[in-house]
Amino acid sequence: MGRRSLAPLLLALTLGACVSGPTSFYHWGTYNETLYAHYRAPQEREAWVEGLKTTILEAEQRGEKVPPGLYAEYGYALFEEGNTTQAIAYYQKEAALWPEARFFMEKMVRNAEQRGRQPTTPTTGPAGALEKT
Amino acid sequence: MTRLLPVAALAALLAGCIPQVVPPDYSKLLAAAPRSILVVPVVNNTVEVDASSYFLSTIPVPVAERGYYVFPVNLVKRVLEDDGLSDASLVHAADPMRLCALFGADAVLYVTIQRWEAKYVVLATTVSVGFTYVLKDGKTGDTLWREERVAAYSSDPGSGQGGAASLIAAIVSAAVTKASPNYMPLARQANAQAMGPQGTGVPFGPYRPEYGTDYQRPGMAAPPPRLPKPKPKPKLEPEPEVRPGW
Repeated sequence: MGRRSLAPLLLALTLGACVSGPTSFYHWGTYNETLYAHYRAPQEREAWVEGLKTTILEAEQRGEKVPPGLYAEYGYALFEEGNTTQAIAYYQKEAALWPEARFFMEKMVRNAEQRGRQPTTPTTGPAGALEKT
Repeated sequence: MTRLLPVAALAALLAGCIPQVVPPDYSKLLAAAPRSILVVPVVNNTVEVDASSYFLSTIPVPVAERGYYVFPVNLVKRVLEDDGLSDASLVHAADPMRLCALFGADAVLYVTIQRWEAKYVVLATTVSVGFTYVLKDGKTGDTLWREERVAAYSSDPGSGQGGAASLIAAIVSAAVTKASPNYMPLARQANAQAMGPQGTGVPFGPYRPEYGTDYQRPGMAAPPPRLPKPKPKPKLEPEPEVRPGW
């Protein structure tokens, strides 16, 4: 490798360093893409919810911290589908993992409990299907 | 002279990628030391109606990666909608302290989309996005941090782009497709540039090992990551006019 070829390489490295971001701190899976797809087309909700579940499982299996908000988002997906018991379980997971979320999650749990006592028309969805026991 | 040329070019390039701005005053942000950030729905000042929700999907990752707890954006959006606050400009106009109290958040991040456009000229397509980021304190309502970012990509082959520019082009080439321009890589790039660089971005949050190493914090010599304390519940006694149904 001659001296001539070194300069462009250095240049590319410098640029590369300032364009690309650092490697990810958390395991996000498909979070970005599926939430975007869900907002672009509501029928993509299934992919968003399944992506949440997959990302959560992957992070748990690796022994890594599940990124902020994911348990809560998944809990809400379960809630939307009428699965209040599982929804509450995931809200509580979020609160246990992230103390900053405790106050908000307690509210969400109370809300879900209230809804749970009322007769609801459960809708089946991907989250409900995934949580079937 | 010729030997100095690459060095000069490199310096020029580096100068180009490090923003030449006066460093913001971090004293309020460092004193407030928020652990959690509530990202509220985005105000959109462009004609692209879908931009706000699209943008919302790009923001949790860079904020969380910075070391903060980020409230679940989709859930927050739904909860606010259920409370009759589906208009983002209403949310932005609301008292930040009250907003933070509703969610138990330390700080709230308001993003406004200033630009989200694609321009087509005969041979060139220019896609650009622009955002304003404002972080406010949940305890005082003070502005803790503020940043503006623009990211753009042009496919113009005649704009004198050299090797360096084509490298960037390769990275964001996904931004331009004939059918529909993809703004997402640009939005992510803008977010990363807004949050990241030392001197302009947001200091590392408590969940990053670098916390406390990037800026001197008041009263903290070498701050260890603090153990989270259970937050005292904000009094809900004087109930706001919009009574949350949750």
